[in-house]
Amino acid sequence: MLADLGGGFAALFQPMTFLFLVGGFMLGLFFGAIPGLTATLAIAILLPFTFGMEVTQALVMVMGIYMAGIYAGSITGITVNIPGAPSGVMTSYEGYAMMKRGEGPRALGLSAFASLIGGLVGSVLLMFLAEPISRVALLFQTPDKFSLVLLAIVTVTIVSSGSLWKASMAMAIGLAISTVGIDPMVPVGRFDFGSYYMIEGITLLPAVIGLFAICELFVQAATPSKIAFADAPEVHKRLGPRDFIPSRADLREVGAATYAKSSVIGVLIGMLPGGGASMASFIAYAEAKRGARKPEEYGKGSIQGLSASEAANNAMCGGAIVPLLTIGIPGDAVTAIIFGVFLIHGLVPGPGLLANSFDVVAPMFAALVVASLLIFVSVLLFGPLYMRLARINRGILYGVISMVSVVGVYASTYSMFQMWMALAIGAFAFGFRRFGYPLLPLLMGIILGPYFEEFLRRSLIVSEGSPLIFLTQPFSLAFLLLTVLFIWLLRIRPARRAKQGLRP
Amino acid sequence: MSHYRFNTQAAFAIFLIVLTSIYASQILELGIPFSTGGEPGPAFLPVALCLFMYLAGLRILHAQLTEVEPVIDEEPKSDTVPRLAQVGPQVVLVLTMLYLLAFPWIGYFFSTVFYTLLIALFFNYEFSGNWKDAAWKSALTAVAITAFGWLFFVQLFGLFLPVWGG
Repeated sequence: MLADLGGGFAALFQPMTFLFLVGGFMLGLFFGAIPGLTATLAIAILLPFTFGMEVTQALVMVMGIYMAGIYAGSITGITVNIPGAPSGVMTSYEGYAMMKRGEGPRALGLSAFASLIGGLVGSVLLMFLAEPISRVALLFQTPDKFSLVLLAIVTVTIVSSGSLWKASMAMAIGLAISTVGIDPMVPVGRFDFGSYYMIEGITLLPAVIGLFAICELFVQAATPSKIAFADAPEVHKRLGPRDFIPSRADLREVGAATYAKSSVIGVLIGMLPGGGASMASFIAYAEAKRGARKPEEYGKGSIQGLSASEAANNAMCGGAIVPLLTIGIPGDAVTAIIFGVFLIHGLVPGPGLLANSFDVVAPMFAALVVASLLIFVSVLLFGPLYMRLARINRGILYGVISMVSVVGVYASTYSMFQMWMALAIGAFAFGFRRFGYPLLPLLMGIILGPYFEEFLRRSLIVSEGSPLIFLTQPFSLAFLLLTVLFIWLLRIRPARRAKQGLRP
Repeated sequence: MSHYRFNTQAAFAIFLIVLTSIYASQILELGIPFSTGGEPGPAFLPVALCLFMYLAGLRILHAQLTEVEPVIDEEPKSDTVPRLAQVGPQVVLVLTMLYLLAFPWIGYFFSTVFYTLLIALFFNYEFSGNWKDAAWKSALTAVAITAFGWLFFVQLFGLFLPVWGG
């Protein structure tokens, strides 16, 4: 394994591969920092291009986007109080307070340093956890796999904010979309409405582009520029790299324990389906505040709160990759799209992937480590530029996104039907967002639907229709119990406590 | 006594129920969910999903209709484009539909220049409120984006685009 990991780092020394990493990193930085754009959108837009790349280059680029995109959510959060991504909310809370005090560069530097530590911890834990977990996952039988997919589907649905019924509806529609096309077990077309085009099904690419890129275009078209550009930052013209290097006093004040604890929280939450960067940063922030020596500073520009939040959301990146690679279950929207990148290149994420193609995956691990280091380098190089990033011309920005989204679908499928499908899904997703239906369960339904159905039907064929098979297999039973536990912890208990007037 | 009040949220729930019915209309063609041996067939999951979607759709519809005081967020207003929250998405939708219609006929270059020009024009005008200023900025943007797309898709990644159409 160590030799393969070494090979992964060596792969990054190839100039083209390294360029793809840096290119992905810059793309992630850009998308993460612009309010309304996200790492998810950047990877969704990149998806068509990966057809023309080697698999290593595609994976390395995606890792660069992922790490940079999660970090960059904090940049406009600190400078203009508009987090580029939901995971940057807690960082904005503290960072913008520092910005108003004239400590913007200090906040940006501390944020980048915490992201560096979190990213490194997440990457290292990923390297050491991935193989042992995948060895266990190789023992899973079909009913176990079904219960695991069910766990992912249920968890992603119940952690969605807002109405549980709306989230469940979104998941069911995603699963229904996945049933369009040829049946996975019998050569029968389903829901094709007699159309030659529908028989090929609704593929992942138009679904991802529609759900994230085209939908975002609609959302931004409905948003006045005065809101997108609210609270323009004061431009600092004479800032240099040194202004962004955290002082030793600041690092001592944050404390090694805060960095370590927040990073581990980030990894653990990343490993949970539906966990995500936002949850990681909220929980790490709350935990840091709980044990803080100066809790009164929280909300007024606490460097400890800011660092805890940032370390956790970047550590989450490594954690989120663990279930994707080891058991083939994506836990959030980004890893769901990375799942698609694997499929496009003929690789199926899961235990077999690490056993048979560790050399293909190793550069991914190395890319996460290097991308973590690039975060800190980026703030030294581009720190002054970050202060102006939120004011980019929207005509250019959305002109590029509209072209890349629509043409990207054509260039990778050569199908006008899929282009129309991407537009239809985008319009549908816009309605979803406007009326408070979450998009992640919809995407997870589309991606996991074929596995959900195949594992369910195979299991029931083996048991001659008896659902007891899911209770008699040890792993399957454990996953079902875990599903029940999550429902209890994440939905039933908070609802009961809220009813009794207690803190959820 | 519950008070029913129709609103756009309820209309969207009805739309989802209608979609479910369209989906359900095809299930009959898939045969029975279980074979005689108890084995699930192609109709098994769609039937289960339909039942669940009807249940969820009706539950959501009921909740939207009986909401005591529907929370109506005031839509942010633009200084330049009236009713932006409705007009903006409609403009993007229509422009993209026209682009998809034109793309195979007149090719990538002409269709993309016009599409990105109009998209950029919409965003630039909404920002500045000045047609003249928005027009020249958008024209430059459109040419640059079209060239960028061709370089990226065709030259860098070797993918095919119908360059001039026909």
